[in-house]
Amino acid sequence: MKLLSKYNRVNVIATIIVLLLSAIFYYFFIKAALIHQLDKNLKVEEREITDFIKENKQLPEPTNYKDEQEEFIPSGNQKINRRFSSIDIFNKEHKENVSYRQLEFPVLVAGNQYKILIRKSQVETEDLIKLILKITLGMVLILLVTLFLINRFFLNKLWKPFNTTLQQIKQFNLSGRNNINLEQSKITEFTELNHAVSIMTNRVSQDYDEIKNFTENASHEIQTPLAIIKSKLELLSQSENLKEEQMNTIQSVYEATNRLSKLNQSLILLTKIDNQQFRESEEVNISILINKHLSNYEELIAAKLITIKKNIEDNVKMNMNETLAEILIANLITNAIKHNIDKGIIEITLTNNRLCISNTGIPLECDPSELFERFKKDKVSSESLGLGLSIVKKICERYGYRINYNYSDLLHTTSINFWL
Amino acid sequence: MKILIIEDEKELSESIATYLKGEDYVCEVASTFDKALEKTELYDYDCILLDITLPGGSGLEILRELKANNKMDGVLIISARNSLDDKVKGLTLGADDYLSKPFHLSELSARIAAIIRRKNFDGNSLLKFHSISIDTVAKLVSVNNKPLELTRKEYELLLYFVSNKKRVISKNAIAEHLWGDDMEGNNDFIYTHIKNLRKKLIDAGNADYIKSVYGMGYKFTD
Repeated sequence: MKLLSKYNRVNVIATIIVLLLSAIFYYFFIKAALIHQLDKNLKVEEREITDFIKENKQLPEPTNYKDEQEEFIPSGNQKINRRFSSIDIFNKEHKENVSYRQLEFPVLVAGNQYKILIRKSQVETEDLIKLILKITLGMVLILLVTLFLINRFFLNKLWKPFNTTLQQIKQFNLSGRNNINLEQSKITEFTELNHAVSIMTNRVSQDYDEIKNFTENASHEIQTPLAIIKSKLELLSQSENLKEEQMNTIQSVYEATNRLSKLNQSLILLTKIDNQQFRESEEVNISILINKHLSNYEELIAAKLITIKKNIEDNVKMNMNETLAEILIANLITNAIKHNIDKGIIEITLTNNRLCISNTGIPLECDPSELFERFKKDKVSSESLGLGLSIVKKICERYGYRINYNYSDLLHTTSINFWL
Repeated sequence: MKILIIEDEKELSESIATYLKGEDYVCEVASTFDKALEKTELYDYDCILLDITLPGGSGLEILRELKANNKMDGVLIISARNSLDDKVKGLTLGADDYLSKPFHLSELSARIAAIIRRKNFDGNSLLKFHSISIDTVAKLVSVNNKPLELTRKEYELLLYFVSNKKRVISKNAIAEHLWGDDMEGNNDFIYTHIKNLRKKLIDAGNADYIKSVYGMGYKFTD
């Protein structure tokens, strides 16, 4: 639920409750006030009647209007208390009950007791109360419409800086280098939010840069000691009189060192692609590149008795960095060879907008979506670094190519769409 | 053959020097920018191994000086930076080759041999080992003056062996030399190649020069 709708809902409910409560309060208050006023009028009438009796020693003519009626009833010795009351009288003309306020009091006229009834109509009062109710309902309606309009036109505008900021945060991408450009706002909260967001993103970018630089520097620094270890081992292996056991030990260390240095080089490569260090781009003929790599590995392909099915369009050219193009194609082809089975098949299809490399192989054991992650290996094999496909993915991302993997009919297929 | 090793890492330059001395090269070492500049100005070398990051300056500066003075020394850049920029810059400035650290000493030795062959190819493009002769320009091999047919990879393998005679060469170094970095972990492949080359050489009347060194790799020796 949006903050706005939540706020509006609370607002509307509270307002309606308050308005209804005040309507009820009004109703009773105004009713009491009006009845008090009626009672006062009735007292005036009472005084007029008693004054008239004092002066003339007889009863006046009873008035009988629609909204004021008087009744004089001889009442003998009956004890009569002076009292106000509200009564309903059936009106024969309109066939409805009409409310009246009535004052009942005794008078003595020439020794005879009369009960005097003075009634005043309450219709006006009821009309007034109805009016109040209408006004209240009207106000509720106006309030709802106003809130809707405010919401529709004003609040959306008011929240615009917030939405802009939100959009920017969503699009924020550390490696993409798109800095956040926040809109100026006159609202304190949004200014503060923007301020906090820019401080945060700057700090994150800085940390990211630092980590990247650290990785790059560390990797470079590691190369030199690795070079020393490697060269010393190579020298050591040249010594005469080495026992077989010692040779084996040297070989193990040597191989581990090799793996370490390749791992390191792959990490440097990934960092460099991240750092946009392969800026130069030129037209690279992918068709030639694929054929070149296939012929480079032809002995390996022959040794595994792999059949190559080529469907390569001539002169497919992409505008990209030559080194990255080499790495991309070499990685895909070596993968298809390495993870192939004996007497397997490699199918390569290249068109102007798509490169598709399929190879036979044992089904994956891991989730295909994790395949492009760093250090993801299908089977724990020490020979593979698990960085090849994440390098491929990184290069594709760099140029906005879409890469896909799927497995069907015993074929692992990696496809790259050049145009989106 | 005189070689200058410009490298600030003492241990590494020592290893290189030790390995290369076995190939009958005379090695000198310069570990700072100034020393390197001094040596390159005073003497001529058949090949200079040039590290780019040096105390006191950039190796590329030394390369510029060499070319400005029309020196004919072969230059092989060895850099830990493995950076494309350095490679491109170095090669456009006139370096003969580029090798990134860490490298196999056998690979280094083969690259140096190739540079020196190219530098003095006037009548010297023929590489000999007993009755085997390799024409590195035409890329042809003959045994006792009879041509020996080799595949491209077999030829590269033989050349690599001859450039590293009497040395134990690891399987990794051979695999990397033949197929590049991307074929890691497939050293078993090279066994087939070695077997084929060995058979062809023996069939042509040679002794079995390729000895397998248990655990490590192979050795080309008589």
